[in-house]
Amino acid sequence: MFGFLLGEALRDLRRAGRVAVSAILLIALSLAALGGFWLLSSNLDQAVALWRERVRIIVYLKREPADSDALVERVRAMPGVGSARYVGKAEAMGTLRQVLGKDAAVADSLPSNPLPASLEITPESGATTPEAARDLVARLTQLPETEEVAGGTEWIERLGQGQHLLTVIGLGLGAVLALAAVLTVTTATTLVLHARRQELEIMRLVGAPEHVVRGPLLLQGMLQGLLGATCAIWVLIGCFALLAPRLEPLVSETLGLPRLTFLKPANVVALMLAGTLLGGFGGWLARGRREP
Amino acid sequence: MIELHRVSKVFSVGPVRVPALSDVSFRVGKGEFVVLKGASGAGKTTLLRLLYREELPTEGEIEVLDYDVPALRRRAVAELRRSIGIVFQDAKLLPGRTVYENVAFVLRVLGTPRREITGRAFDALRAVGMSSRAQAYPAQLSQGEAQRAALARAIARKPLLLLADEPTGNLDEAMAGEVLDVVKDIWTGGTTVLFATHQAGLATVLRQRTVTLEAGRVIKDEG
Repeated sequence: MFGFLLGEALRDLRRAGRVAVSAILLIALSLAALGGFWLLSSNLDQAVALWRERVRIIVYLKREPADSDALVERVRAMPGVGSARYVGKAEAMGTLRQVLGKDAAVADSLPSNPLPASLEITPESGATTPEAARDLVARLTQLPETEEVAGGTEWIERLGQGQHLLTVIGLGLGAVLALAAVLTVTTATTLVLHARRQELEIMRLVGAPEHVVRGPLLLQGMLQGLLGATCAIWVLIGCFALLAPRLEPLVSETLGLPRLTFLKPANVVALMLAGTLLGGFGGWLARGRREP
Repeated sequence: MIELHRVSKVFSVGPVRVPALSDVSFRVGKGEFVVLKGASGAGKTTLLRLLYREELPTEGEIEVLDYDVPALRRRAVAELRRSIGIVFQDAKLLPGRTVYENVAFVLRVLGTPRREITGRAFDALRAVGMSSRAQAYPAQLSQGEAQRAALARAIARKPLLLLADEPTGNLDEAMAGEVLDVVKDIWTGGTTVLFATHQAGLATVLRQRTVTLEAGRVIKDEG
């Protein structure tokens, strides 16, 4: 029986002709937009996670402490601190020389070492949220040895907010296009209903079960959705293959993300499923008249 | 087999109420051949449509094949219709399918196993004398042949009841005679037949029990 229903659905799809093609293209467009934003969002999410792991807070000290080990121990014991490392004035100068490279001689001309001693703090993994980082910075500022505290997670959070915004835009655009796609599938199915009205009448008169009457309509909608989703996935794969190698150096430089990644298999399956459901919904909306 | 008790049907067209059937009562027993006679507009088609639940009565009780027809849910309507063969004045053959495909289509949608479809379809076509025209399309058939093909489609699933809504209405005398012969053969095979016609002469020729409708009322039940 499924073979018969599928055969009828394919026949219906051919009957719907250009309208079915429009519906397939609209579903492809909506899912490609959704998938594109999803792809951007997931890569940005990875960048945010990477940067959260790299968060450092620098506590500049008023003067070099007499017992740096004791200070480090005291700071390590503070809530939210994952690790702490003391950087003396001499080490800071050494780092500056390395950074200056061939211009390191400039540092030699200084009358004395102006760089302050500091503590390099890595927050605990749970303390990289804006609130936790703000609390930690406040506690570190209150240390009597502290001159100034630098660093935090604000810009990472801004990156995270950007990622959320991208997701919302993607969902919004996808939803508008999906609505258009559903309406087009409904139109295509209505045309099929009109073309098949004699068959449907005969089916009803002879007492064909409801799933046999409506099944092909639902199936042809789902087929349109599945075809649209498949097109969308191939468009995404093509665009990714074309653009990712060109964008990766820029992304690596700006976001520190070594390489861009495509959607996970589960995401691809979800897009295919969404397309099939969209198409099925369109087919269901166009259901014909019922018995009195 | 069929029992109607004080059945009325009123169609509402905006504020206007048009009575189609009024206080109709009669019964048809198993294996009977009953002619439903009446002029155009007498209510024959409405009555048949009530029997296969294409319409609901405004009042009254209808029982067909032990089904309380007005009370049926959608699934049960389909069950009822699987036991009824229906033919119309226009044969309602699917134009894009051959005679054989028209018969096979119905068997297919009712879930008949694939291996049985060809045999059963040809049995039905043979019964109405249409097996040699199996590969013809509806447009290539005479009206009489089209009606016989429609009868083949109706009997392919071996219905207990055949409802014929003026199947000879558009046919000349010779063709009508052919169709009537086929309907009588079907009846002789054990199927109950309710045959609607506006042709008074045909009712006489059939020499069967005749229920006469006039303006939606049963005015005579004889034979």
